[in-house]
Amino acid sequence: MTDTPLVAGLTWQELLARRSFIELDALGRATALLDPGSPQVLAGPFDRLESPWLVPQGITPQADDGTVIARGSVDGRPVVIAAIEQGFQGGGTGEVSGAKISQALLLAAADSWAGTPTAAVILFETGGVRLQEANLGLNAVAEICSAVLDLRPLAPVVGVVAGTVGSFGGMSIAAGLCTRIIVTPQARIGLNGPAVIEQEGGIDEFDSSDHALIWAVNGGQQRYATGLADDLVPDDADLLRAALIDAINAGVAEPGRHRSQRLDVLASRLATLDPASPLDPRDLRTLWGGHYEPVASSTSSIKSPAGETADPPVTRGRTWLRALSGVARPEPIIPSVLSATTNTARYLAVVPDPDNRFYRAREGQVGVTEALALAQAVRDLIEADKDALHKRAIVAVVDLPSQAYGRYEEMAGLHQAMAATTDAYHAARIAGHPIVAVVVGTALSGGFLTHGLQANQILALDDPGVEIHAMHKVAAARITRRTVDQLDELAKTIAPLSYRVDDWAKLGFCEGLLTVENADAPTAHDLKMVGAAIVDAVQRARSGPVDLSNRLDSDAAVTTRHASRAVRDLLAQQWDPER
Amino acid sequence: MQTLNYRFPAQNAASRAVHVGVVASGDLEILLEPPAPDDPPDSVVVRVRTSVNGFDTIWREVLERFFTRTPLAGRWELNDFGATPGVVNLRLRQALQAGAAADGPPS
Repeated sequence: MTDTPLVAGLTWQELLARRSFIELDALGRATALLDPGSPQVLAGPFDRLESPWLVPQGITPQADDGTVIARGSVDGRPVVIAAIEQGFQGGGTGEVSGAKISQALLLAAADSWAGTPTAAVILFETGGVRLQEANLGLNAVAEICSAVLDLRPLAPVVGVVAGTVGSFGGMSIAAGLCTRIIVTPQARIGLNGPAVIEQEGGIDEFDSSDHALIWAVNGGQQRYATGLADDLVPDDADLLRAALIDAINAGVAEPGRHRSQRLDVLASRLATLDPASPLDPRDLRTLWGGHYEPVASSTSSIKSPAGETADPPVTRGRTWLRALSGVARPEPIIPSVLSATTNTARYLAVVPDPDNRFYRAREGQVGVTEALALAQAVRDLIEADKDALHKRAIVAVVDLPSQAYGRYEEMAGLHQAMAATTDAYHAARIAGHPIVAVVVGTALSGGFLTHGLQANQILALDDPGVEIHAMHKVAAARITRRTVDQLDELAKTIAPLSYRVDDWAKLGFCEGLLTVENADAPTAHDLKMVGAAIVDAVQRARSGPVDLSNRLDSDAAVTTRHASRAVRDLLAQQWDPER
Repeated sequence: MQTLNYRFPAQNAASRAVHVGVVASGDLEILLEPPAPDDPPDSVVVRVRTSVNGFDTIWREVLERFFTRTPLAGRWELNDFGATPGVVNLRLRQALQAGAAADGPPS
């Protein structure tokens, strides 16, 4: 498509006669895209797989948890559509709605594997993880990302962002993993929403009342003009369906050609950015161009300082990385991403870098350059071990305050950078590298999604300084319109809301809660015990599944994630009643 | 959130299951099902889950008026997110039309 103005070359008669897609609800959208007569709704409202977590919090649930799974055909080809209802809880990903999407993708992958390529379409309209189901929503996003990556080599996964909510939060990482992304001018794609950035970084960082700025940074036209979306289509159901037919007929992308695999492009693009020399979002269109290809080398590149600063801040991440690996001087991939490689494993951690040119990532947050460096370190190990029978483990030492909340990060496409890391970890897991995440400090939100949640095995220290959540407490309280005290009170009975690591360990994806004597300065005993736990986890990863199914089959999951398990069973049964 | 239960007399039973609406701001979803085998065939059984507490009387009046005029027996589940009485009536009528129709579009 050529550059599309607001109404994309439609005459006013066509404009009035068009069938708006944005005005449709989730079911209407799915139906408009599928061949007439073909849609079959799976796990629909009368199956009553509603969220088990909302009623105890006094929130009216929706019978299908706000996500429609519709199976059918597009131009005769088998397709499953996951349509997120933007009206229900802002399209937020909960345990059930998330499980519906990931399980539908996995069923499509199983069919594709068995010889019936089945494409998937995700209609992203979401503000991100549903904070009322915090940790279960966050994990659901990790499972969706993994499932997108499982299906993507077998059949196309097409993302459609039409608006008006747009795609925000961790689900935008999934959008960044899609084979193709279709947007309208009304769409927005970003990792952190403008209001959250303003809340975290102040109004100078992002004025969330400035709509022109929001669309200049996150808008569909901008994402298309900078190569972060593939098709720009006006809000017209027929034109969107035509674009979808094209995308599905184009089939899978060549291996290595997905945006989230193009570390060369990401690196060359980031090298042109320095928040110290402010840039208008529009300048990116000429600087980067509309194709996702490396930026011409004539553009001046910004050199990062090669080594660490003389006296780097002591943090748990740095301390445990050194202690567990036994490597006294870990290699800084960049000053804020440390790597220590032994004969058996590569240890990775994100650490603070007070001199980070991306100033919103100076306290150890995962920003654009951290996401790239992690992806490079993981891909390098895959490459180094590609002929080895015994793949080395990757140990993600997790101690990070969150992802970076910043305007520059959003302009650069933080979601796409995080997709590159997610893709790399998934690729390593599928290739047979055991991935073990060890949470030694805070593990919040998109930071944890990027560095930790794609692991086969997740371990955590049982320590008050360890906190795993979708958002830090003050912000989560504000967004869900509660006081911190109310949030603490609810968390006593609603496990996914809790900030306590022993509650998190009940959710089904903790493979070990480790009691240490000193989490800030591990003792010899601590190191021996945690080291042994990692060895055990590596062994379990080697003999266990390479997908994330163990998070649904663990003993804790049987108790806590019964709704996710019910989704898996029901969808499988409705997908193929003969089975 | 408040859960309210009502029961009204009726003659005809819904012939099909119907789903309308969304639990979105100012809207509600309705799930209508024909009476189950062990349900009384001559009753409207309504369960309302509403995000706004304290409107029991208004709910009763809106529902009573509606089901007095159009007594369609069945199980009615309303999941409400702050819909006004006007919107509630609109959604009820939408569900009724589809649920009572003998040959309407399948839902």
